[in-house]
Amino acid sequence: MKSMLVPYGFVSPASLTILILVVYPILYGIYISFFDTNLVNKWNFVGLRYYLQALTDASFLHSLGKTMIFTVSVVAGHFFFGFIFASVLNMNIRFRTLFRGILILPWLFPDVVIAYLFKWILNTQGGIVNEFLMHFNMIAEPVGWLSTSATAFPCVILVSIWKGYPLVMVQILAGIQTISADMYEAAEIDGANMWQRFCYITIPALKPILTTILILDTVWVFKQFTMIWLMTSGGPGSTTMVSAIEIYKNAFSYFKYGLASAQSVYILVICYLIGVVFRRLLRDD
Amino acid sequence: MTKKQKSTIVVTAGYSILALGCLCVLLPLSWMVITSLKSMADITLSRGLKLFPSGPTLENFVNIWKEYPIATYIKNSAVAVGGSTVFGVICAALCGYGLSRYEFKGKAFLLNFLLVTQMFPAVMKIIPYYKILVNIHLNNTRIGLLIVYASFSIPFCTWMMYGYFKSIPTGLDEAARVDGSSALYTFYKIILPIAVPGLVATVIYAFLQNWNEYMFASVLMSADEKKTITYAISTMADAYKIQWNYLMCAAMISSVPTLAVFVVMQKYLIAGMTAGAVKE
Repeated sequence: MKSMLVPYGFVSPASLTILILVVYPILYGIYISFFDTNLVNKWNFVGLRYYLQALTDASFLHSLGKTMIFTVSVVAGHFFFGFIFASVLNMNIRFRTLFRGILILPWLFPDVVIAYLFKWILNTQGGIVNEFLMHFNMIAEPVGWLSTSATAFPCVILVSIWKGYPLVMVQILAGIQTISADMYEAAEIDGANMWQRFCYITIPALKPILTTILILDTVWVFKQFTMIWLMTSGGPGSTTMVSAIEIYKNAFSYFKYGLASAQSVYILVICYLIGVVFRRLLRDD
Repeated sequence: MTKKQKSTIVVTAGYSILALGCLCVLLPLSWMVITSLKSMADITLSRGLKLFPSGPTLENFVNIWKEYPIATYIKNSAVAVGGSTVFGVICAALCGYGLSRYEFKGKAFLLNFLLVTQMFPAVMKIIPYYKILVNIHLNNTRIGLLIVYASFSIPFCTWMMYGYFKSIPTGLDEAARVDGSSALYTFYKIILPIAVPGLVATVIYAFLQNWNEYMFASVLMSADEKKTITYAISTMADAYKIQWNYLMCAAMISSVPTLAVFVVMQKYLIAGMTAGAVKE
């Protein structure tokens, strides 16, 4: 009897903390989504009204579209660069530790720092990118990279890729190093080229790691708030208005807590479905 | 093409990729350093392309240290983040060990649930957190933020520790059990010492994640003397105009702790993740 309780002893500190500080807030958020409320003295039950409203709300649907584009581009970028750098870092080359250390750097700086750094680099007045391009006569007037609708979104995407690829790189690198070199040697003797070795040894061996990190990275990028908020606040217009910012504005600028909560629940459901789909696709058969 | 030529090409390509990547990383970061060494006149009066300061100066560092309680901000961050890292990683290590060594009812659910917790938009957790902390009189306290941050890092850290413990053969546990050692003793005295690389990787992750956090600090620690350093930077930028040289200075100061943690512990990072590498 006693031994049956042992595992629960191990998991209970973490589980209790999560129960109080993660489950309760989520349930509370879901609860709010059924009310027209100011969170103090007005609590009018409205049922599913906000859920229906969100479905026809043009700006919410627009933000979901933006979030999709943002997530696909950024996650693809993370994995593209993560894979390339990890593969090269796994080769037998000199200064490997130094290269690895430098390539990990973007991960080590706070979002706030990176957001302001690139805001400064891309700034209209005195930003180095504009000064540089003007010096070489590539542009006549300074460009407002983050305040022009054509360039703001691509810039935000590039900065987010720059900031986030190291975590994916480190995970892939760690995974690659668990693959035994014998397998590659055997494949080489059998005449497999680099691409075949990559497809038939590296990818299958990394699958379990890739699945989890792909799901987590997607979910994290999907909810990205800080960097976009600090760089553009969703503007100009609504060109960088991803869902996290749309929800934040609904809650804290317009005080529509119920609507914001209903929208959050939709995000939770979408993220969950993304997780399910990825796991189906990447399942070991 | 001989095999040797082929491998020379591959190695050269490898170096080129790394060099290009490092350049893309280092250029923006060095711009932060250069800006922080420029005087106000250099920033505002200069026209045209001017890469280096006319007279590099450390006066920005001195000035922001005088004008803002930087030491207090750093202390706030250090207490909340340091504490949450210790607390979070202890919980995660215990939980990860339990999950890796035992079969029990609800195990699959718990593992899956840890992933699901990452999916709810953080924005909507602000209000309940605020209410909880007000109710237990911990709003605007470092302890309050510490608890909240711990709850952020526990799910992913548990996954990391779970992966690492799974890579350690269970034979050791069984030998210890036969010798009559209790479950907790086995964990603490026998398995944990072997798991140090995984533990360190987890500590780095938790520390980075929480040191970098912005949104919750801005709501839960609004009083000026309670601000964390990352949030404080954003309020410096909100002032009537942005003084970029000051801002880049503060940005550099705020990044020192994470860089230091990484440099000290980095030799464990890859090793820790190699064996554990978050996987299902």
